[in-house]
This record gives sequence, structure tokens and C-alpha cells, in this order.
Amino acid sequence: MPSSYLDRYARSRSLCHRLPARLKLLLSLAVVLTAALVPARLWPVHGVLAVVVFIGHTLARIPLVYLARRLAFFLPLVLVLSLSVPLAQGFQTGWEIMWGILFRSSVAFLAVVWLVNVLPFDQLLRALARLKVPAVLVAMMAFMYRYSFVLWDELDKMRTARRARSFGRGGRWFAWTTSAQIIGMLLIRSLSRAERIYGAMKSRGWDGRVRTLED
Amino acid sequence: MHVPDGVIGPDVCAAAGAISLGAVGYSLHKLSGSLADRAVPMTGMMAALVFAGQMVNFPLVGPPVSGHLMGGVLASVVLGPWAGCVAVTLVLLVQCLLFADGGLLALGVNTLNMAVAGALGGYMVYSLLRRLFGEGPRSVVGAAVAAAWISVMAAATLFCGEFWLTYRGGGYDFGRIFTLMVSFHSAIGVGEALITGVVVGFVLAQRPDLVYRSQIRDGIVRGLGRAVLAGVVMSLAVAAFLAPFASSYADGLEAVGTETGFEEKARDTKAAFADYDAIVPGWEKVSVSLSGIIGVAAVFAIALVLGRVTVGRMQPAGPPHAE
Repeated sequence: MPSSYLDRYARSRSLCHRLPARLKLLLSLAVVLTAALVPARLWPVHGVLAVVVFIGHTLARIPLVYLARRLAFFLPLVLVLSLSVPLAQGFQTGWEIMWGILFRSSVAFLAVVWLVNVLPFDQLLRALARLKVPAVLVAMMAFMYRYSFVLWDELDKMRTARRARSFGRGGRWFAWTTSAQIIGMLLIRSLSRAERIYGAMKSRGWDGRVRTLED
Repeated sequence: MHVPDGVIGPDVCAAAGAISLGAVGYSLHKLSGSLADRAVPMTGMMAALVFAGQMVNFPLVGPPVSGHLMGGVLASVVLGPWAGCVAVTLVLLVQCLLFADGGLLALGVNTLNMAVAGALGGYMVYSLLRRLFGEGPRSVVGAAVAAAWISVMAAATLFCGEFWLTYRGGGYDFGRIFTLMVSFHSAIGVGEALITGVVVGFVLAQRPDLVYRSQIRDGIVRGLGRAVLAGVVMSLAVAAFLAPFASSYADGLEAVGTETGFEEKARDTKAAFADYDAIVPGWEKVSVSLSGIIGVAAVFAIALVLGRVTVGRMQPAGPPHAE
């Protein structure tokens, strides 16, 4: 379960971690907005933005190795997407658009990575709720976050069971149906689980509103 | 599939965001009726499931290349259109906020492509096809398969439209990017359709009560679906299968070809097909529309066959699992 991979540094301590949650959310949103709004030909703005993001990561004491690893998973996707521009448009103007896309999306990506790593998810949800995101949506997100880890573990168990039964020897169709059946089984189990949880919540007075100790 | 920030222009992002805000808001409103408190655990769990389900790899050509489920149609087939739309939106939100997968500003674009068109639109196609195929497990699986494929195509088409709107000033050729994206995604869509079909077939065999039964309440979906979707479905499917052909024959390419040095190639193709034109007058158009029709028929045939195969094979083995 890659829990530590996502927000590994969210609970460490630094100047950035002490900032108020809403400020951090709005800050990274501002960086993303600027990166997307300013046209690519105003490249000094994007350079400054990249430096700001870099300083943010340094202040939050997020190691460069971690950022490099996150970027290594991110860049190939954008590369494929942006390569379609020169391929589809011809190579003179296409390259410019492609580099613009790559640089701007990397800066925006790193801004969000910064946010995730300086703001634990529960505080992020609270900040979202205070920014008037509907309470139902926030409650659902909290529920989803809580149970993704449970389902990941369950999925892991099912995968181990499958490997133990010599999965991989059959044909491709067999591999596909088995994998899809694993998802189907997980679906059945998780929806029954959700019904049990709903019963338990209902019997403890659940009325559709999340109450936390801080309220 | 997830559009990062900086690819689609902010104006397009804002417009897409407004549309998806309306659609997701309406879905939330639909959910917050009598079953509001139940919707939170069920939808949250479904979102977590789609999230976890995306970790399951499906081997494609070789070991390193593999696909995964996107899950829009699956979510709305199981939970109904409104909860399905919200569940996919949740997945996108968490992926964006936690993985930084898909941009923060592009969230509206992603929601429009995958939650609104994928789950809501996919459900419209699904419910329409179920009416056509009739009631019964086979029709459920078949309709889900076709809807899953079409939802991927719709997402790809929407993305092309948004891309074109962003770069419309720069002499950007919509036809080419559309060809590239749509022919690429028609293959991805087959994967999504197969996975969705097998999962839905499995759930139907084990716990048929879990699959959402449409009630009179979603009359809106059906009414809209009947009126609009027959046309959309057909044109999308035709477009998907025609895109590779259309690009090499259409006049649009010739115009661009003179600038980019494509004209040599284009002339060759023209020459090759000139012979056919001589033999059968109007052969080009006939063959193009024929391949379109064959393509659509093929998708529906795959849907029906898969429906038969998966439901036939997965008879419930004893009482359904308690846990």
C-alpha cells in the first residue's frame, strides 16, 4: 500500500507546515492559476514561478530525490500528450507548444505535490469545507480516503491468493477475466462492507452530517 | 487520460468547470433526497473501489504495457447515474489532490470528460441500450460493454474539442489531433469495455441485487437519452471508425499538406484509390460509410457475445458470499 508515497512529508515539521491550511491551499491554487493563465511567450514569469515552487519545496524540507521520483512518473504521461502536438501540427510551431505544455504542467504539478506534502489530508478536507465545498462531498471524500487503504489491503490479499494459485500460466483471456473478477469480488465485498458500516453509523446516530472533535 | 494543468487554456477550463459544476451539483441534489445519509458511505465506498480497481493491471501486448479500469460506466451501472457521477468526481478530486494526477485547474475539464460524459453520459447510453436489448442479464452486460466503449470515445472526443478550443488561434488542425486521439482511444475503449463487461457479469452472477435498478425517477435520463443519444452514439461510433480513413482522403489534409510536405504522400494515396474510383464510381464514399457501419456493428456484436460468454460462464456457485 503506497500510503507513504503520496504524502510522505505531510506530517513533518517546517515553516511551511506551520502556515494556516487555507493559506497553503490558496497559495498553491494561485501558482497553478498563474502557470496556466500566463501565456508561454512570457517565459520570465514561468521562470520566477519555478523558482518560487523550488523555494517552497526547500523550505518544506522535501528532498529532491522524492520530487525527481514523482516527476519521473508524471513526465512520461505529459510527454505522450504533448508529443501529439508536433506530430499533429508539424514540427515548427509544434515544438514550442510542446515545451510550453511540459514546463507549465510540471510547475503546476510540483505546486500540488508541495500542497499534499505540507498539508495532511484531514486538514485539507477541513480547509475545503471552510471554503464552502458542499459538506456531503467533503464527507464522501473523507470516507473514500479512509476506505481506499482498507480496499488496497484487501486487493493485496486477493492478489497474493491469485499468485499462490500459479496465476500467469494461463492465456491472456484468462488473465483478463481473473483480474476483472478480482475487481468484481472487491466490488461485492466493499459494497456489503459499506452497507454494514452504514448500519453501524445509523445506529450511532448518523444523520448525514460529519462531526469531528474540533467542531 | 487525466489532463494536467497548462494543457487546456484557462478560459476553456472555466467553461468546462462551469458545466461540470452544474452537472455534479445537480447529481448531489438528486442524491440528497430521502437517501442522503446512505449516499455518503455507498458513494464514498464506490469511489474508493474505483480508486483501488485502477491498481489492478491488465496485461496488453507485453509485460510492461498494461491498462487499467477507468470505471465511470461501472460506477453508474452499479450505483445509478447520479451517485456514479459523484463517485467518479470524488476519484478525480482525490487523484488530483493526493497524486497530483490531473491538474487542479483542469479538474473541471477532467470532470466533464470522465464524470459527466463518462458516468452520466455512459449511463444514458446504457439505459437506452437496455431498453433496446430488453431486460435480462445479457442485455445488462451488453449494454454496459457498449456504454463503456462509447464513454471512452466521448471523453477522447471532448478532449480534442477542448484542445482545439485552446489552440484555435494558431492554425491548429483539429482533424489530425482528432484522428490521433480517437484511433488511439478506440483501442483503449475496447479494454475498458471488456473489463467493465466481465466485472458487471461477475457481479450479476453473484449479487444481482447490487446492480442499480432504474426507477421511474430517472425519467429525465431516459427522455433525454432517447431523444439525443441515438444520434450521438451512432455519429461517435461512425466517427471513431472513420477517423483513420477520413484523415487520408479528406480535403482538409491537402490544404495542410502543402505546408508540411505531406502532399507527396497524399498524392500517392489519391493515385492508388483513383483506380477504384474508375472501376466503381463513388467507391470511396461507399467504402467509407461501409466501414463505419461495419465498425458499429462490430462493437455491438462484441457487446452481445461478451454478454453471452460472461453470464453463461459465471453461474452463481452456491449462495452469495456473505462477506
